[in-house]
Amino acid sequence: MLEDKDELTAKQLFDGLEKLDQWNPVSTPNLQWFQQNIELEKKRIRKKQWKDLLTFISVAVCVLSVLIAVVYRQPIIFLYFQLVGIILLPLAFYKTRKKVSKE
Amino acid sequence: MDEKDLIRKAQKGDTLALAKLLQQNYSFVVKYLMKVTLHPQIAEDLTQETMMRCIEKIHLYNGDSKFSSWLITIATNLFIDQQRKKKREKKWVEQEQALRKMKWNAANRNEEWTDVIDVLAQINVDIRMPIVLKHYYGYTYEEIGKMMGIAEGTVKSRVSNGLKSVRKGLAEREGE
Repeated sequence: MLEDKDELTAKQLFDGLEKLDQWNPVSTPNLQWFQQNIELEKKRIRKKQWKDLLTFISVAVCVLSVLIAVVYRQPIIFLYFQLVGIILLPLAFYKTRKKVSKE
Repeated sequence: MDEKDLIRKAQKGDTLALAKLLQQNYSFVVKYLMKVTLHPQIAEDLTQETMMRCIEKIHLYNGDSKFSSWLITIATNLFIDQQRKKKREKKWVEQEQALRKMKWNAANRNEEWTDVIDVLAQINVDIRMPIVLKHYYGYTYEEIGKMMGIAEGTVKSRVSNGLKSVRKGLAEREGE
């Protein structure tokens, strides 16, 4: 339960904030304004999604092309990469675990 | 059509339903942001940003809380992010200008300005927000914690210390 002093302060706060609403009346835009903004925002979101997808595909194609080229021309380099990956993987896991347990 | 129907339709992509939903909650969000920002212009701008974010994330609303509370959560986080990016001096200047304007609005209506707003404006936003959410909107400590992404205990102590600061500030002003 609130103490009397706190209750009084809370009441003063409430009244002050109520007055703030009276001094700054809000005018709500009409329905068409909302519809227009929603359409615009949806268009922007779709555009962004396409952009993200295209970026993802381009990066994936680049990585795959490099990988295929390496495998066909210098398979030994690919094997080295795999070996380094296998060595580094437990290290990466260990670091993540440490971070999680700290939080 | 009630709010639940509008939400269901909006989540399926109905623009008209979403527009009605946003229109119904617009003034509630502006008024909330006005109380925590104490800056009408920032409140309006953040409300529009909140609406845009809602359009993008409406499919994620799961009905656990009231729709208006969900909007308040979005608005709160947008305001916190905005405050982090701004420099302290800029925030202070903006706040002073807004207070002057609001005082002028009150004077125009022949109404006496209330000191509690000045005191509230001097309190850090991280404390001001839970005070408004608790003592104006009546949310529980748990709900406020979820909205602001902080522990319930932290909310309790911020509200309690905040009230003490407000009381102290008011007493100092009365003593002047």
